[in-house]
Amino acid sequence: MSNLPENPADRLMFELSKPGRRCVTFPALDVPEVDVAVALKGAKLRSEPARLPEIGELDLVRHFKTLAGKNYSVDKNFYPLGSCTMKYNPKINVTLLAQQGYTKAHPYLPQADIQGHLELMYNLEHYLREVSGLDEVTLQPAAGAHGELTGVMCIKAYFESKGEGDQRTEFLIPSAAHGTNPATAAMAGFKAVTLKEAANGNIDIEELKKKVGPQTAGMMITNPSTLGILEPKMREIAEILHGVGAQLYMDGANMNAISGIVQPGDYGIDVMHFNLHKTFSVPHGGGGPGAGPIAVRKHLAPFLPTPRIKKNDDGSFAFDYDRPHTVGKVRSFFGNFGALVMAYIYMTQLGREGVRRMSQNAVLGANYIRVMLREYYHVHFDRTNAHEVVFTDLKQDKENGVHTLDIAKRLIDYGIHPMTVYFPLPQNTGGHGAMMVEPTETESKESIDYFIDCMKKIAQECKDNPELVKSAPHTTPVSKVDEKTASTNPQLYCPMCLA
Amino acid sequence: MPFIQHTDEDRAEMLKAIGAKSIDDLYVDIPADIRVKENGDKVKLNPSMGELEVTRHINALLAKTKNAGDYAFFRGAGIYNHHVSTLTDHIALYDGNFITAYTPYQPECSQGTLTSVFEFQSCITALTGFEVSNAGMYDGASALAEAVLMGYRLTADKFRKETRETVVLAGAVHPEYAATVKTYCETTGLKLVTVGAGKDGRVDEAALKAALTREAAVVAIQSPNFFGVIEDVESLVKQAHEAETTIVQVIAEAVSLSVLQTPAEAGVDICVGEGQSIGNHMFMGGPAFGFFASRKDFVRKMPGRIVSETTDRDGRRAFALALATREQHIRREKATSNICTNQALCALRALIQLAAWGKGGFIELGKQVVSKTQYARKTLGSIMGIELQHADSPVFNEFVIRTKPGLDPALQKQGIMGGLPLDVVEMGQPGDYLVAITEMTTREEIDRYAAALTELLHPNGHGGKE
Repeated sequence: MSNLPENPADRLMFELSKPGRRCVTFPALDVPEVDVAVALKGAKLRSEPARLPEIGELDLVRHFKTLAGKNYSVDKNFYPLGSCTMKYNPKINVTLLAQQGYTKAHPYLPQADIQGHLELMYNLEHYLREVSGLDEVTLQPAAGAHGELTGVMCIKAYFESKGEGDQRTEFLIPSAAHGTNPATAAMAGFKAVTLKEAANGNIDIEELKKKVGPQTAGMMITNPSTLGILEPKMREIAEILHGVGAQLYMDGANMNAISGIVQPGDYGIDVMHFNLHKTFSVPHGGGGPGAGPIAVRKHLAPFLPTPRIKKNDDGSFAFDYDRPHTVGKVRSFFGNFGALVMAYIYMTQLGREGVRRMSQNAVLGANYIRVMLREYYHVHFDRTNAHEVVFTDLKQDKENGVHTLDIAKRLIDYGIHPMTVYFPLPQNTGGHGAMMVEPTETESKESIDYFIDCMKKIAQECKDNPELVKSAPHTTPVSKVDEKTASTNPQLYCPMCLA
Repeated sequence: MPFIQHTDEDRAEMLKAIGAKSIDDLYVDIPADIRVKENGDKVKLNPSMGELEVTRHINALLAKTKNAGDYAFFRGAGIYNHHVSTLTDHIALYDGNFITAYTPYQPECSQGTLTSVFEFQSCITALTGFEVSNAGMYDGASALAEAVLMGYRLTADKFRKETRETVVLAGAVHPEYAATVKTYCETTGLKLVTVGAGKDGRVDEAALKAALTREAAVVAIQSPNFFGVIEDVESLVKQAHEAETTIVQVIAEAVSLSVLQTPAEAGVDICVGEGQSIGNHMFMGGPAFGFFASRKDFVRKMPGRIVSETTDRDGRRAFALALATREQHIRREKATSNICTNQALCALRALIQLAAWGKGGFIELGKQVVSKTQYARKTLGSIMGIELQHADSPVFNEFVIRTKPGLDPALQKQGIMGGLPLDVVEMGQPGDYLVAITEMTTREEIDRYAAALTELLHPNGHGGKE
């Protein structure tokens, strides 16, 4: 440890706290002040004020700016995090959203006061209908997993309406799927049945035929898959499921590869969700908020959450609560409206041609990375890929004893956020740690080339100086973090905040 | 094309390296008959718009709206018109280092987000009294639904030989939350029983007792409840625990935690709530965030991300995601929830706002809200033709008045957005209004609201009760 003086900006706010300091003041009270204990007679009160930090405004700003400096972010760093679509988030989204018309829009305003908001949601539903090629859309789910749950609930309600609720107990899920898929199926009361992929990474049609049956409610498929490849037999898969009366759910996490290229409805899918925070540039926010709208075919539309948005004959817009078959509400109000506004601004700017170019350039960049690095790292499926490509540590592990996590951490030293690691799971990538790279369409060729050069350099370092890679990162505010202790001996709050 | 930097030359070079003639070659796995044709009109979207055009378009849409700032505003019911510090926008929206980062899975380059989540959890601990808070849920409604599922798991695990699958929900829970709980219960196969409120606006304790059969697993209450009334939480906890159930409290107005007894001290098992009140804009009801807190012994049953303090290899303090074996990306179908993306940026906003208020400001805020609410309740209640509901029950920031229905349009014409008509949300009869107060509400606005109501009820004067 160094014996430099400690910079107060590195402390927690609780540790900076001093009685009497504060930022916000309130106007003088303009009504008679009451004694809270008397006014709230019959209610129990706090025994002491909540132990929030007491901090001055400059120190508050400096605290957060110091923290900001400790994050990698798309604004500052190439961020090829596979499966997350870390594209540029246009500044205009935030600027237009921060207007009072949005910030002070209350959900219980009369519908006459929110016509512009309803119109925006109506238009966004139209955009997503067009990109999906399906019939109806709800914008309410707050995130991808929430969209999955909503979609699976609709499928469940559909079967119940047909008297098949007790019969349809299983959901088929490919083994390489996002963890949210099996978790969602289980949460909705289904048994998650794992489908092993074929050797080439595609759905194994024979395995599917074996596992599908009258007990199958549906299948969740990610296309392109989490292995970064397009599923060539989508229509056949849909036919097999429909042949036994089951439904096909498409996880749209990877829509950045195919938007404007193919309408998934043409594959024969019945329902899908979008991750607007991936494909349509709602900022990821350090973990959220996102938005996970779902699009469905007509037969599932009666089950969508309420309210729906309708256009009246006179051109005005209204909420429609009169949906007797709805699954109900999946959250309060109308979804993450603020996130929807940002996605709407983005999609409006892209337009028809822009949406198509977005996917084309995303796929181009990922294939370019594959061919440029295939000699240096093992490509799990060395064939044309979609918007992301999966490498593994097969070579480095065998030759130098260096692993995926080491390579990922070494990238940080080069100012690049690591790719997604160990997903898909080792069982799906030949027992070797996956490195899933998704460059997105908004990165310039120069940035992509810099990444390629860094990866080549690291491959060389693995040979020449494996310890350098294994002990990375070397340039960050903290060195390799002990994540194990965080779970075995968790400390989840600052002791100063609790009596 | 907007936001794409490749030139035709870049594209040509990349295609050459790949060995493809065109980008179309990269889509061989999509059958040609369903591939959208270049320059076709199959996907019906508008032509691309530039920054100027889209700004005009958005502003034209906004011109067709009104917002809380256009009125003397008395509507709340789960989303509250509090002052949001400018600090929140500057740090959370305009500084790209938080908003354009991803979930902090790589702690070495995410200490900014991780530290702020740890501080957020600490603030929720300070507010609720619980040792464990997660990094946030979608909103209050889904947080309650998830808490009910967790509560069910806790009870079911304790009484494995019994079938305890009934959820007992207080009738004065926010209707949007109740509807969400209903949806989640239906899909997971749990039975839902609702216990109504008594004349005092509080949970009817006799009815609760009757509902607490041996099948009951969870009790879910809201306090302050939808009508603004503060429940006798300790008494409800006692009943729930006597029946060996898990009790969940949801809070729609998080600012109430400034003055009211902490849920931990009252003895509830899980406390969740809507965090919008703290540093988040209203945005038609989202995005804000749900908070989720509980006792240390229950942490492994909790949904959502959790950050823990730890150290780096050199012994320095560091933060990292913890206890991921509860989560979907590790545990898959056995996870405690399917939640992945949450509302991290909204939780960051809350942290900034709580620090900006600080210990002293938060309590002052709570006291101002109480004083203004008392003034409004007294002022409106003194008008002839207006009857206060639950008049003897304590309220924090909201209360119900009963008067003539249909007064709304006339009030709105005068620039007053009166309380929420409760018949519209099926929580009262025509003429019942839920009036909400924040520190933004001025005495002048309350007086104007009262004067307008008096005038509407008594066009010929004499509006005061003798």
